[in-house]
Amino acid sequence: MMQLPGKGLMVNRSYCRIAVVLLLLSFLLGLFLAGGCGKASDHVTIRFWNVFTGPDGRTMLRLVKRFNRENPDIRVLMQRIEWPSYYNKLFIAGLGGRAPEVCVIHTDVLERFIQAGFVHPIDEFLGGEYGLDGEDFDANVWEAVEKEGKHYALPLDVHPLGLYYNKRLFREAGIVDAEGEAKPPTDRQEFLDAAEKLTRDLDGDGTNDQWGFVYTWLRTNVYAVMAQWGGEAFNEARTSCLLNTQANVEALQFCADLVQEYGVAPSPEHFDAWIGFRQGKVGMALEGIYMLPDLEKQTDLDYAGVPVPLFGNILATWASSHNLCIRSDLDREEQMASWRFVKYLSDHSVDWAVGGQVPVRKSLRESEAFRRLEVQSEFAKQIPYVKYMPRVPFILEFYSEFDLAVEKALRGSVSPQEALDVATVNVNKVIERQNAMLHEAKSRESG
Amino acid sequence: MKRSHLSGYLFLVPYLLLFSGFLILPLGYGLGLSVFRWELLSPVSAKFIGWNNYAEALRSDYFWKAFGATFRFVVMAVPATVGSALLIACGLNRVGGAKRQSFYRAAYFVPTLISISVAGILWRWFYNSEFGLFNAFLAQWGLKVPWLTDVAVAMKSVVLMTLWWTVGGPVVIFLAGLKQIPNQYYEAAAIDGAGTLQRFFHITLPLLRPVLLFVVVMSIIGSFQVFGQTFMMTRGGPELSTRVLVQYIYETAFTNYRMGYAAAMSWLLFVAIAAFSILQFRLMRER
Repeated sequence: MMQLPGKGLMVNRSYCRIAVVLLLLSFLLGLFLAGGCGKASDHVTIRFWNVFTGPDGRTMLRLVKRFNRENPDIRVLMQRIEWPSYYNKLFIAGLGGRAPEVCVIHTDVLERFIQAGFVHPIDEFLGGEYGLDGEDFDANVWEAVEKEGKHYALPLDVHPLGLYYNKRLFREAGIVDAEGEAKPPTDRQEFLDAAEKLTRDLDGDGTNDQWGFVYTWLRTNVYAVMAQWGGEAFNEARTSCLLNTQANVEALQFCADLVQEYGVAPSPEHFDAWIGFRQGKVGMALEGIYMLPDLEKQTDLDYAGVPVPLFGNILATWASSHNLCIRSDLDREEQMASWRFVKYLSDHSVDWAVGGQVPVRKSLRESEAFRRLEVQSEFAKQIPYVKYMPRVPFILEFYSEFDLAVEKALRGSVSPQEALDVATVNVNKVIERQNAMLHEAKSRESG
Repeated sequence: MKRSHLSGYLFLVPYLLLFSGFLILPLGYGLGLSVFRWELLSPVSAKFIGWNNYAEALRSDYFWKAFGATFRFVVMAVPATVGSALLIACGLNRVGGAKRQSFYRAAYFVPTLISISVAGILWRWFYNSEFGLFNAFLAQWGLKVPWLTDVAVAMKSVVLMTLWWTVGGPVVIFLAGLKQIPNQYYEAAAIDGAGTLQRFFHITLPLLRPVLLFVVVMSIIGSFQVFGQTFMMTRGGPELSTRVLVQYIYETAFTNYRMGYAAAMSWLLFVAIAAFSILQFRLMRER
């Protein structure tokens, strides 16, 4: 190209600008055309929303890409959304009639989506060409997605709470079996003994700098212990809150005693306590299987995972599931495409488990591939007796009361009885408000 | 209408459209919402309930606890921010050399550019009482501060972090204000034998009053709306001692989906902010 100094250069520049604009225009045109082509061709587009923004998102994306390759008639578009805003976006999208065809919903909040009428029951798909046997799920897991005889979601995984322990600290404290290997506790006494031995003041300054146990997430930790005492949050009909019953109070007392009475756990610090475990300053923590990828990245931590010890008198632990849900107002073609995708993910959930999950289908857990996953297999032993959070549409309001009561009790500001009494009164108020509205809706229907 | 006026209004149109579309309209809509019971989870549609939402808020322990937390933050954060910003600006104003001055100004301003989520997470780690940076440092003297875990300390820690995060803005404004004050006044005062403090109180402060008023009012408005810091560092804990009004409104609207009730509380917050701003205007003008 000829280049003249001065004015010539300016001319060239404006040509450049025109060229750029033309390029952009043609790019946009291309996009439009491609979009048009997409509509003209005969594949069904399925939008799939989930919360997998961590490493698990990459695992899921690989599965989605494989599905798209193997099923040319369906195109799945995956959208990952950050945790704090996920359910807001999903719910608002549902209200606005723009919900994705397939989405992931945790078991504890499923009820509000069912009540709002956003999700389609899957029972009709279980027979037939792309069928699946409900018997392949553990009864408690399968029941957790059921309402009035219909199943509203296909559980993809189950993530129970288990006991992670630091093997090196155990060996140092002499908590070992006959072969000299770290021996994790299985009941309350063993747990307390181990925790006491592990809690130490290493530098002799009068304060502990190594702890036997930390609370990483009060809500799940305490809920699991309450379940072991046989405590229930609600009566069967969910019309009355039972948080301040004796079983729950005793369980919460035990949890508080670990801090106040036995002094084997620091005052609750919420999530950051997990950093302490990762730094090797903590002997034991109760956390979900989903924390495993975090630990696997670490080469200097000698850890293992086992089922939660028996603190109370019933074997139980907390768990939740990621459930695959299908939007309620799809046409038949979209429904079948969505279901085929959902079933595909379920069939391949062993691959999903690698990212720190436990497949929910019994047949897959028996596979050799899954048995090789050590911590997952240990945590999976608990599945038959895991307990999900109570199924109420106002679960988040329940959580705020529950969390506050537990926090107050563990910090010793009020007694467990007092804390749970207050929470019970407040949760009952929420129930009253809900019932008043349901009542109004019914009388409006009949009137 | 005169022709010249018309063109003025025409120039205003784009802004007025945005202003009414994104501020006036939602404000009015919110006011309307606040007299309805509208819950997204409810099977019944919105229902007019008059002042009930306001009445519920004024009777609710949680509302007053959140209001109290917000008020405690304002009372601590506004004087702390304005005071330190003024001090820093006066100091910077005396730093010789334009380059050096703009370097320091930038240094104080940089934290303001950090997003609250990053700053919040960073400081949550600093503050961690078992494993955090601050306590690791204080451990030399055998000290251990429960920065975010003690009911009596948590809000102060939030204020300290806010100071670091926001002081840069007012510093820049004060610095600009200080530069507006003609040097002759100081020279005259120096000749009359006025000391540093006298010069500050009798020249700097009175001449800076319009700027000060602006900074104080903006700081009050901003502080009443505090949310990001507490949400990122404490989630409102321990025991709700740092759950401020905006967080409570946010939770009411977007986790409990009680839109009407949340709208009513937003209007109560609006009234509180307006009241304190007007009060501040009056106080600082009449002097």
